[in-house]
Amino acid sequence: MKSRLRPVDVVGLGFRGLAARPTRAVLTAIGIAIGIAAIVAVIGISASGRADLIATLDRLGTNLLRVSPGSGVFGTGSEVPEEAGTMASRIGPVESISQTTRVDASVRRNDLISELETGGLAVLASRTDLLDQLSVGLVDGRFLDEATSQVPTIVLGAVAAERLGIEDLEPLPRVYVDGHWFTVIGILEETELHPDVERSVFIGYPVANTLFETTESPTALYVRASPDFLNDVAEVIPATVNPQQPDAVEVTRPSDALLARRAANEALTQLLIGLGAVALLVAGVAIANVMVMSVLERRTEIGVRRALGATKRHIRLQFLFESILLAGIGGILGIALGGGITIAFAANRDLTLSVPPEGIALSIAAALAIGALAGLYPAWRAARIPPAEAVRK
Amino acid sequence: MTVLRLDGVTKIYPGAPPVHALDGVDLAFAQGELGAVVGPSGSGKSTLLHVMGALDLPTSGTVEIDGIDIASLSDRALSGLRSNKIGFIFQDFFLISGLTATANVAEGLIYRGLARSLRNERAKYALERVGLGHRLDHRPNQLSGGERQRVAIARAIVGDPAIVFADEPTGNLDSATSEEIAGLFDDLNTDGATIIVITHDRDLAAHFPRLIELRDGLITSDTALRA
Repeated sequence: MKSRLRPVDVVGLGFRGLAARPTRAVLTAIGIAIGIAAIVAVIGISASGRADLIATLDRLGTNLLRVSPGSGVFGTGSEVPEEAGTMASRIGPVESISQTTRVDASVRRNDLISELETGGLAVLASRTDLLDQLSVGLVDGRFLDEATSQVPTIVLGAVAAERLGIEDLEPLPRVYVDGHWFTVIGILEETELHPDVERSVFIGYPVANTLFETTESPTALYVRASPDFLNDVAEVIPATVNPQQPDAVEVTRPSDALLARRAANEALTQLLIGLGAVALLVAGVAIANVMVMSVLERRTEIGVRRALGATKRHIRLQFLFESILLAGIGGILGIALGGGITIAFAANRDLTLSVPPEGIALSIAAALAIGALAGLYPAWRAARIPPAEAVRK
Repeated sequence: MTVLRLDGVTKIYPGAPPVHALDGVDLAFAQGELGAVVGPSGSGKSTLLHVMGALDLPTSGTVEIDGIDIASLSDRALSGLRSNKIGFIFQDFFLISGLTATANVAEGLIYRGLARSLRNERAKYALERVGLGHRLDHRPNQLSGGERQRVAIARAIVGDPAIVFADEPTGNLDSATSEEIAGLFDDLNTDGATIIVITHDRDLAAHFPRLIELRDGLITSDTALRA
């Protein structure tokens, strides 16, 4: 002769208990939903960003070094030997090399614009193999070749094109470089690894030499080396390219900037997840609060159920499950919301959507655990109510 | 056969001074009896009902329900006893507002671990027994007071308990409806149910074959009106 409550009836009681006060249930669940949505969105967005970053790094390669031979302690005075590039290419693990040289000139949309308004754009003399070396493509036109390097033609970086107000090459636009008209033959695509390239315009070495007396002494060398020996190459390069002032040589690895940004992003991600966790905690307290209130209100129901044969455990189960259910509904709402935010964000930023399933599983588990924790005390209180008192008039 | 036996039952609520709600009650009910416990408020009626119905344990003395001494039982066993042997009817009906009459009555079987379809089937049968076969799908707010109390009675008898306890079952009903409810108890009793009604309404109590008077926690008279 025992009381028995079937698990399916515990579930039914839980749903019914919440359905009896739907507004309260929804408002309470929203708290959990916000916390879970924040966590899911942050995990989803950062994972999508990371997937994209890894793809970018794979595409651009991490074995590229940018070498600025340096202009000496006293600024522009000292020059690096013109053969610096050739010398660097003799280092064993170096696979390929390209270079640019700063041209002492400014680029303007036309000759009516003041010489002082350079728009922060640099004019660079470039070798014809620069784009291959940097893995940068063109959105329009073509890059300099042996022929166009001889004549006043120019290729614009993405930002430079924007600042000069040039969107396409129809009809062939011209820009003004210190007294000479140059025909624009190409526009580069955006390249997050090389912000300096985006903000530059490129002309050939021969024409730079003819018109502006630019030498072949590089202001930037782009060196691709075998990934295993990258550090060794970085170590010997200063003395190779600028034997007189090796200390002035600056060697950077553009992909490091991306990695650093990723590290910064990850710190931010963790902070946001922390905030989501705090939201969850607050929501858990709200659930506990609502459940305690509910227990007080439903004293008679508890008394009647005890009179009908419910054991203390049955009462505990009923309220505990109701609390878990409340949090679970919030969790599902939150995942839908967070997933939606992630999808919208990824679509907006053209990121590869990547929502880690373990993140989803973890947030559902977190929601259920919070519901269970929040329900423990109210359920215990409900079970402790003496039945005779609960049904007393 | 005795279904309920009380032997020297006392119930003392601690406090200053302690309240002696029951002060040595001896009582026995045979199967199939229909009786009323009457007394003024404060006489210990409700306490007696709770002790007889295993909702509460006596301070001393023994209570036997269907031959089982409840003093020795754990909370689980007491709950089991209530779900299998006892039906309760309350003055305020205590129905669940969102549920239909059938679902409310079926709730009386939920702690027996029966499947929902079986519970509903038996609930419909119980509702027909109390004359509410035409109100199966009505919710409490669509029913009159008398009908609500019939639903509550159906919930109490749906599991065929050994004893049905009714606590002021007509307290919230007008006199005509009270008559009907009293008649319903008679009918159920004729079908074999053991029913004990607690009331301060002497007119209602006068309907029943056995009348027990309680005052200050003691039985002052116990008479069978129509033997």
